[in-house]
Amino acid sequence: MIPAQTQTPLPDIIGDLLGFGTEMGPGETFIASFIGAALVGTLMLTMTALAGPWAKRKITAAFTDRYAVNRIGPAGLLIIVADAVRLLSKELIVPEGVDRPAWDLAPIVIASSALLGFAVIPMGNGIHLADPEAGLVYVFAVASIASVGLVMAGYASNNKFSMLGGLRAVAQNLAYEIPLVLIAASVVLFAGSLQMSEIVAAQTETLVSLGGVAIPSWYVFVNPFAFVLFMVANLMEVGRNPFDIPEAPTEIVAGYQTEYSSAYFVLIYLGEFIHIFLGGAIIATLFLGGPAGPVLPGILWFIIKIWAVFLFTQWARSALPRLRIDQLIEVGWKGMLVLALANLVLTAVIVGVIA
Amino acid sequence: MSLEEPKPTDVGETPDGNVDYAELEALLGDAVIGREEHVNAPAFVVRPDEVQQALGALREEAGFDYCSCVTAQEYEDRYESIYHLKKYDDPTQEVGVVVPTTRDEPVSQSGEAVYRTADWHEREAYDLVGIEYADHPDLRRILLPETWQGHPLGKDYNPEKPQVVPFREHANPLEPDQRGEGSESDTMFINIGPHHPATHGVLHVETVLDGEQIADVEPDIGYLHRCEEQMCQQSTYRHQIMPYPDRWDYVSAGILNEWAYARAAEDMADIEVPEYAQVIRTMSAELCRIASHMLALGTFALDVFGDFTAVFQYAFRDREVVQDILEDLTGQRLMFNYLRLGGVAWDIPEPREEFFEKVRDFLDGLPKKTQEYHNLITSNEIFQLRCVNTGELPPEVAKQYGATGPVARGSGVDIDLRRDDPYGYYEELDWDVITEDGCDNYSRVLVRMREVEESAKIIEQCVDLLEEWPEEERTIQANVPRTLKPDPDTEIYRGVEAAKGELGIYMRSDGTDKPARFKIRSPCFCNLHTLREMTEGEYIPDLIASLGSLDIVLGEVDR
Repeated sequence: MIPAQTQTPLPDIIGDLLGFGTEMGPGETFIASFIGAALVGTLMLTMTALAGPWAKRKITAAFTDRYAVNRIGPAGLLIIVADAVRLLSKELIVPEGVDRPAWDLAPIVIASSALLGFAVIPMGNGIHLADPEAGLVYVFAVASIASVGLVMAGYASNNKFSMLGGLRAVAQNLAYEIPLVLIAASVVLFAGSLQMSEIVAAQTETLVSLGGVAIPSWYVFVNPFAFVLFMVANLMEVGRNPFDIPEAPTEIVAGYQTEYSSAYFVLIYLGEFIHIFLGGAIIATLFLGGPAGPVLPGILWFIIKIWAVFLFTQWARSALPRLRIDQLIEVGWKGMLVLALANLVLTAVIVGVIA
Repeated sequence: MSLEEPKPTDVGETPDGNVDYAELEALLGDAVIGREEHVNAPAFVVRPDEVQQALGALREEAGFDYCSCVTAQEYEDRYESIYHLKKYDDPTQEVGVVVPTTRDEPVSQSGEAVYRTADWHEREAYDLVGIEYADHPDLRRILLPETWQGHPLGKDYNPEKPQVVPFREHANPLEPDQRGEGSESDTMFINIGPHHPATHGVLHVETVLDGEQIADVEPDIGYLHRCEEQMCQQSTYRHQIMPYPDRWDYVSAGILNEWAYARAAEDMADIEVPEYAQVIRTMSAELCRIASHMLALGTFALDVFGDFTAVFQYAFRDREVVQDILEDLTGQRLMFNYLRLGGVAWDIPEPREEFFEKVRDFLDGLPKKTQEYHNLITSNEIFQLRCVNTGELPPEVAKQYGATGPVARGSGVDIDLRRDDPYGYYEELDWDVITEDGCDNYSRVLVRMREVEESAKIIEQCVDLLEEWPEEERTIQANVPRTLKPDPDTEIYRGVEAAKGELGIYMRSDGTDKPARFKIRSPCFCNLHTLREMTEGEYIPDLIASLGSLDIVLGEVDR
């Protein structure tokens, strides 16, 4: 079977194309990496641009019996441009008494932390910026930095609703992060590695063959229980319904982002969507065989999988009521954590007995 | 059933369920200094310093546990507060308590100690008319700003005088940061509203939080006060008042509101409404109720789900169908202005079959839609987690606050004026009053959803009746004089079951073609008063959910 991805990281390929040779110096490495990162970043931001002003509205509209944007451009697609102009041309209001450096940094932290995670995600067709041995740990680490951004935003805004949102973000973060990592650990037990490329490679083997169709050993098939748990924990991580408690529009106005407008608001909004996509990328890598799939090239499969997860978050948003903060913490600590531990122990036993 | 023990009657209640006013007068003893005959029920004139004792006796001994309204007004020689009392068990048993005070010193004892609901009613009386209530715990203005000068419904109020208040003198809602004991207190004061995504209009809830939990809430209303009472007092009975009720509960309950005025005015002027018109009224009113409950359901789902989600849109989609039917009937989508004194504006639109078919189509599709709502909303575990046992309102508390409508019925208080104090054509039709005993947010939602089904039953029977009504007997309007001038000093208080509860109208005539006093008893006003009882100790999301489950319309709260 052909490996789903090449083992050469993207910067090396770019270096090759630029004629830097096999042994790149620090300057050449920087240039190649920078170009690679820009490529990946652009891809993700383009997807976010598509998802935020357009796809999200269209999906919600489909769930709720409406048309949504359909006036500007084909299928309303040019709303993306219109929205960008609208949002960026608004006045950037700085409320009195905000804690200046923190207040300005928060949107940047929120937006950039999620982008960092894509550095180690194998996207197929050689698009893989870096492949450190502890890749999975790195992803979870940078994804959680966003919570720091939320707290900064909430605390620095000098607004009580923002502060409630920031505090809720911390409480929520503590409640889901541990189960999330524990579930991922069960995948690591199967794959025997924290390296993203290894985890993907471990999923290429055939699990069973049904009528000539080979079902690959994606961990969603190997351990559906962990997959379901992870999907729920991921919803908590990205803060979508029923877990959009830190921003809870009907309760605390907009939570931590209440006081942000214009470019800062765009950054936060962007960060949320990149976060959803990063969640999708992690799920695709851990459970859905990364970029693997028939016929289409790997990168397309990867994008399809990410969008499938995005669609799921929007589905949940349209259909589920929001939990209360105390109920979420109960779900996190009393439900998810216990189930995640059970899953981990079970996996350890199975892996230990079989392997 | 014969096995049932005969209910012990209260003092002043005859075995056949009427009120023996002589016995009541004896009960009140010295406090009574006179008696007035109102069209709805006799009223006792009580000394201003004996109010508590008189109300207490009526409540404890005579069983008048429902203070539906407090009306205040100014005469040439005196001020007057009228407490309209009823019984939850049988709202046809009514009595009024009239408390006159002198013009020089308009102070009378507060009834708040007996009926909690009197708190807000008396504050309104103080605000608009200028009567002061001794022993009232918190006698502040309620509808107008604190800085307002004078009492607009008083006789010597000068409406021409501009009420310009400089910005610095306005109460700054951002100013008081701490509530509770001392500056060391751990609580946080937060303004929910008047601009907040979930307050259903311009409502300001002053909230004190202890962490995420609610230590105290104080609804601050009046942002949508439009002088509706005064506007009605400046309009003629016959035609000019009728458009206003549509604008009280403006979200789609128009005809229900119009009926409140129509019923009061018709009883006052002794107008008999033709049966055919009553059936049309009943049908259109129930259509309004469905539209209103759909909206309540949708916005409540919005509050709990947290986004403009499927449920909200579905509810609006179905409400739209009702709105279309009502538009066909009345020519308007929200401000119907369809009822007239003595009948309705016009008959069912031609071709009649088409209209009936449209109504039937809607009714046929309703069970499936209701099932859809149950699947999406009430059977959802998270929804139940959020709504069961939150925002609890025990029946006794509900009665104390004068709660009516789905709020009272969700607390197991079995009151529905359509059945208990019949009007229109309800008595002839087969339908049930819905109650739920949960006393929580969930019960209130269930009550509304099940009431939609009952309303559908009523509409179906009305359509059957209307279809077979012989053509020559289709009288839509009684013979009413062009100008109505009820006899001087006729007083009446009448309520109907509007979408949110008892919508009552008090009117006093002075012999002209305009009412001398027009008072609106708004169900939302009284229901909103219960918010504090429902939310103390709960979380912010529960406050939002409770507010949603009360289903208030600020247009009706503030009038």
